[in-house]
Amino acid sequence: MDDKRTRFEALVLPHLDAAHRLARWLNRSPGDADDIVQEACMRAYRAFDTLRGPDARPWLLAIVRNCSLSALAERRRRAHEPLTGEHEALAQQAGAEPPPDPESASIERDEQRLLARLVAALPEEQREVLLLREMEDMSYREIAEIAQVPIGTVMSRLARARAALKALRPQLEGEPHAMR
Amino acid sequence: MQCAESLAVQAAFDGELDAVSAAAVERHAERCPECRALREHLERTREQLRRDLPYDRASPELRARIARTLDAAEAAERRAARPRPAWRSPPFWLGTVTGAGAALAASLAAVLLAPLLLTAVPDELIAAHMRSLMPGQLTQVISTDRHTVKPWFAGRADVSPVVADFTAQGYRLVGGRADRLDRQRSAVLVYEHGAHTINVFAFMPGHEALPAAVSRRGFHIACWKSRDLGYCAVSDAGWQELSALRTLLQDSSERDTP
Repeated sequence: MDDKRTRFEALVLPHLDAAHRLARWLNRSPGDADDIVQEACMRAYRAFDTLRGPDARPWLLAIVRNCSLSALAERRRRAHEPLTGEHEALAQQAGAEPPPDPESASIERDEQRLLARLVAALPEEQREVLLLREMEDMSYREIAEIAQVPIGTVMSRLARARAALKALRPQLEGEPHAMR
Repeated sequence: MQCAESLAVQAAFDGELDAVSAAAVERHAERCPECRALREHLERTREQLRRDLPYDRASPELRARIARTLDAAEAAERRAARPRPAWRSPPFWLGTVTGAGAALAASLAAVLLAPLLLTAVPDELIAAHMRSLMPGQLTQVISTDRHTVKPWFAGRADVSPVVADFTAQGYRLVGGRADRLDRQRSAVLVYEHGAHTINVFAFMPGHEALPAAVSRRGFHIACWKSRDLGYCAVSDAGWQELSALRTLLQDSSERDTP
């Protein structure tokens, strides 16, 4: 009877914000993200013995990503959602109504809302790589492990994601309220 | 149309190259306007994402849900094994109780000692910390000036804690408030450390010994005593960050003349 729970809380739970943020960006709504993070934490707890080394963040984020993908696949299967149109739908949703939780509701500036919409409109595999790199400050190797692709693929997806944001930048900076 | 070095420029920007390769990319970029433009774009994109993309945090509700999930998972695992005291760091003498009666003795001890060892204070601290993170609840007096915050506590809290700003060390004092804790009006100092909020509760210590360090529901609690007052720092910041603030406060408490 060791202190598994204590160790879990000390090693894994500090990365809950990162887990939540990843789930939030891989899914549609904060409610879904909460469900996924909860599921991921349960799986993580059960599989805690498989954690090697002191840094639980890439390990936890990989679990979050797997949970997100299963949830997404499940939803598509159930709703017979067409795969195409997904990104447009995401983009519309991100732009049309601010998510209901108080943190996100503070997106007041058009600039911020537009940026969120552009990121949401990226293809999933580019979006996750971009967010892991820019928001979570993960190395290529860590991202490759989480996304289960070779490092070369991480680099090309990252380049495409960044180029896509560049192509859309005039829109971002042409906004009347985007002046700084 | 795209320069063949663009992925190398990106890798250098992401800190993935060794010094020699990075220097080679640097020399190339000096001659290649396309790669210079790319680098500028990478910098602007990163700056914009880090500044403008909403920093979604796990809500207190989610943390509470996860705590319940873990409770259930933990209970399921425990059912197969022998019972153990609920307190995760049992007193030293529990280890000396061995043999057939151990399980019984341990669970009995947990029940008998619960009021002493399982003080509700950590739970109260977490609840108070979560409450403080709700909009408008964090501070009742907003100031980085210790000469404003310290007198404010007079008459509002039962104790007068050491108050100091450590902006230079990365811990900015943003204000204070009075909060009920362990049937007292405790004085709470609020610090900002990066994206983290740290609440430092000061109170008259009770008879029960507080654990020096506890983690619950993803929050860390560090407790110490200084000049007859109990202090508990609560945050989702890491242990090292909390310990550093504890050291700073202990040091300034030593310097402070009563």
